[in-house]
Amino acid sequence: MARFYLEKGKVAAFIAHLQSQKTVYAPHRKGRNAFAFAPVERPQDVVLDYPRTVSSIKKYFLPPREELLSFNLAENTCAQPAVAPLDAVFLGVHSYDVHAVLKLDHNFVTGNPERNYLTRRQGALIVGVGFTPDRFHFSGSVGIPAGDTTGCDLFLHPCEGGYALEVLTPAGEKLVAGFKLPAHTSGLPAAAPFQQHIYVPQAKLKDVFAHNYDNAVWEEEAEKCMSCGTCNLVCPTCYCFDVEDAVDITVTRGSRERRWDGCMLRSFTEVAGGEVFREEPAARQRHRVYRKFKYISDETGEPWCVGCGRCTASCTADISIVSIVNRLVNDYDAVKA
Amino acid sequence: MANKPRVGIFDFTGCEGCELNQLNFEDQLLDILEHVEIVEWREAMDGQAEELDIAFVEGSLSTPDCIKRIHEIRRKSKVLVALGACAVQGGMNALKNIRPIEQVREEVYGQDKYLFPTLPALPISSVVKVDVNVRGCPMTQLEFLKVFTSLVMGKSPIEPGNSVCTECKLKDNECVFEKGMICLGPITRAGCDAQCPSFGQYCTGCRGLVPEPNVEAMEEILVAHGLSMDDARKKLQLFNANQLEGVS
Amino acid sequence: MTKHELIAPAGTKDLYLPVMAEITDVRQMTPLEKLFEIRLPGGVDLGHRPGQFVEVSLFGVGEAPISISSSPTKKGAFDLGIRKVGMLTEMIHRMQPGERIGIRGPFGSGFDMTKFKGKDVLVIAGGIGLVPLRSLINYVLDNRADFGRLVICYGSKSDTDLLFEDERRAWEQDPRVEFHLTVDHGSPAWSGRTGVITTLIPGLDLDLPNTLACVCGPPIMYRFVLLALKSKRLPEENIYMSLERRMKCGVGKCGHCQINGSYVCQDGPVYHYPDIKALREAL
Repeated sequence: MARFYLEKGKVAAFIAHLQSQKTVYAPHRKGRNAFAFAPVERPQDVVLDYPRTVSSIKKYFLPPREELLSFNLAENTCAQPAVAPLDAVFLGVHSYDVHAVLKLDHNFVTGNPERNYLTRRQGALIVGVGFTPDRFHFSGSVGIPAGDTTGCDLFLHPCEGGYALEVLTPAGEKLVAGFKLPAHTSGLPAAAPFQQHIYVPQAKLKDVFAHNYDNAVWEEEAEKCMSCGTCNLVCPTCYCFDVEDAVDITVTRGSRERRWDGCMLRSFTEVAGGEVFREEPAARQRHRVYRKFKYISDETGEPWCVGCGRCTASCTADISIVSIVNRLVNDYDAVKA
Repeated sequence: MANKPRVGIFDFTGCEGCELNQLNFEDQLLDILEHVEIVEWREAMDGQAEELDIAFVEGSLSTPDCIKRIHEIRRKSKVLVALGACAVQGGMNALKNIRPIEQVREEVYGQDKYLFPTLPALPISSVVKVDVNVRGCPMTQLEFLKVFTSLVMGKSPIEPGNSVCTECKLKDNECVFEKGMICLGPITRAGCDAQCPSFGQYCTGCRGLVPEPNVEAMEEILVAHGLSMDDARKKLQLFNANQLEGVS
Repeated sequence: MTKHELIAPAGTKDLYLPVMAEITDVRQMTPLEKLFEIRLPGGVDLGHRPGQFVEVSLFGVGEAPISISSSPTKKGAFDLGIRKVGMLTEMIHRMQPGERIGIRGPFGSGFDMTKFKGKDVLVIAGGIGLVPLRSLINYVLDNRADFGRLVICYGSKSDTDLLFEDERRAWEQDPRVEFHLTVDHGSPAWSGRTGVITTLIPGLDLDLPNTLACVCGPPIMYRFVLLALKSKRLPEENIYMSLERRMKCGVGKCGHCQINGSYVCQDGPVYHYPDIKALREAL
């Protein structure tokens, strides 16, 4: 499909053009060094060159807190709140976060399809953007180059003076229609190289994980880990949740709320009566990493980690998923050698 | 409502901030009184009750008289709720516990110290059984109302055991460490909706430590962020001196 | 990456919406356990397999997975044996016939009874493990001609917490059932057998190739029962176990019940032992 040249000076106007069609969510600066997706109010506040956002756009399809039911306690009845399609454009999404959404799609379509997720997700259009990998990104090692356009309707490839705007779907074409842009005729610049790598091809990871269940690394990393759950909560492919009921002060109405949960948290496997099935922090660390590289991957044939680097960048204890995986690789090679 | 639960509110060693916080529940106070009858509350009324359904207790236990009173309260109450950091963990008062008690006593009361018997500041639970904790310094309205409505429904509330970090992440907050500050969020119990980090402060640990806290790891991180080991320890002790010493 | 169709397919269920059901009977079994009989609207059958579970809701309190304790051969209502162990179950214990609770399910694998046809069935139940296994026992009793011997080994902490007293006595008398009972610690009034459940196994006279064992009990029990069954030389593929985990959503999403890569709420709670042998977190 077509490719246009969007010079830097026209970006704000282009965002306004998108806004005239749909709600636009895009990265904004939040706090001193952080970025977060938010609905665009003023196009000039959008930041397209950013390392990573705190949460991914997952938060719009699987909200951090979501009312599943509302109750009338006096009548002992419940109702499901209406869920509406988002009908929005997600602008400035990095390739790994788009892949993460596609993985979530798999999790919420297969087995028991979940209406809440699918309803929000179905109308969403995605405008991807290239990025310069920092010291935490490693999506290249899990098959996602920085300019990967999978799952996008439009993609903004950074180039001299602006972006090469690639049109990828009819819906993307419709978004651009009416906004006059010159064609982009030169080739696309090479995507920037990664600073972090997993040192084996994806195909080999299956063997690596089949043989490292008892690796000492789990125990070693657990010593540093405070089980705060941050790595789970910032992960764009984590979708575990907890559910809790609350009532209002009149004790006549209430709601059942689900919210993001994480397998690194001690209470995650706790059952009534107090038994905790993954009591050891080392077992929880292993579970987290196996969820990203083995359990779902054995079924789908792909890593369930997208290499965004959030878990590592957000870990106050400096626990690095890349270091863990490479350690497993090294130890596996040493045993096999 | 017939036979409303009879409630008493009691204070021990503390700033009474948690109690005052209750009086500040302007929007909800009338709703609260719909459900219960307050029959004993020194801050707002005279007299004593014989029997209580729920006793809300604020403050730590720090004198022999406190010990005697808390036993009396426990005896006459069906459910005992500890309100705020002092009652739940001993709170800031417990900072005195890390020094010799006689030295503390002399420093505070000077030569009159013999008139003022004192004990290490203890959490209520170290002396009598506590049924429910409402944590924080001060406790938050949010959590008090949650516990209160649970008790009105006759259910025992579940105490949050996750870290404050989880609540920051649910709100898409920038990590406090990213701002060049330190924070005790990773090992502090959630339930405050990450109030302090959400308003530019760091978490001081007022809600107590999570179950099975990895304190050594937290200390190392504080040191890695520029604190001396001594300062790191002090940060942790501010609200959790007792728990760090194994008193609970 | 395979792209998925993002429209909820026709027939997509409302995964989290409970059906309101009526409590029609409550029986106190022990100080901690009650048996509730539940009737769905219109008396429709739950349509479960032995060994499945439901999510039970009380609005404003929460939801918890509870094993179905009756056989699908019981029509018009089903039973839930509930131990008072947390906030929700405490509240349910206060409920009376006529009151309504929310039900989602049935969920989980359950026992595939077609595989049990013509086989001898060995039930090994520790404590509250008898609650889910009762669904299997009653299924076998109600279709008695389809199965071989029915051997029940039931172990309990003490004689004061034995479950299903009436039925237990009936099993003891019933010539179609071989019932073995032991308690870890008997009260002074106890005249029966004392000892942990594994002590019942060596003395069993089993037609090994034709016997299918179904095991359910507290987490600690499985390893020891397995050892006892192995030293008895019961083939591994003849062993089924029902495992407890925190099944919060029941539909394979929330993640709490996972044993390694297996969602207990989908693949379990009843597992064929060869399928979970390699799952290190299982037993």
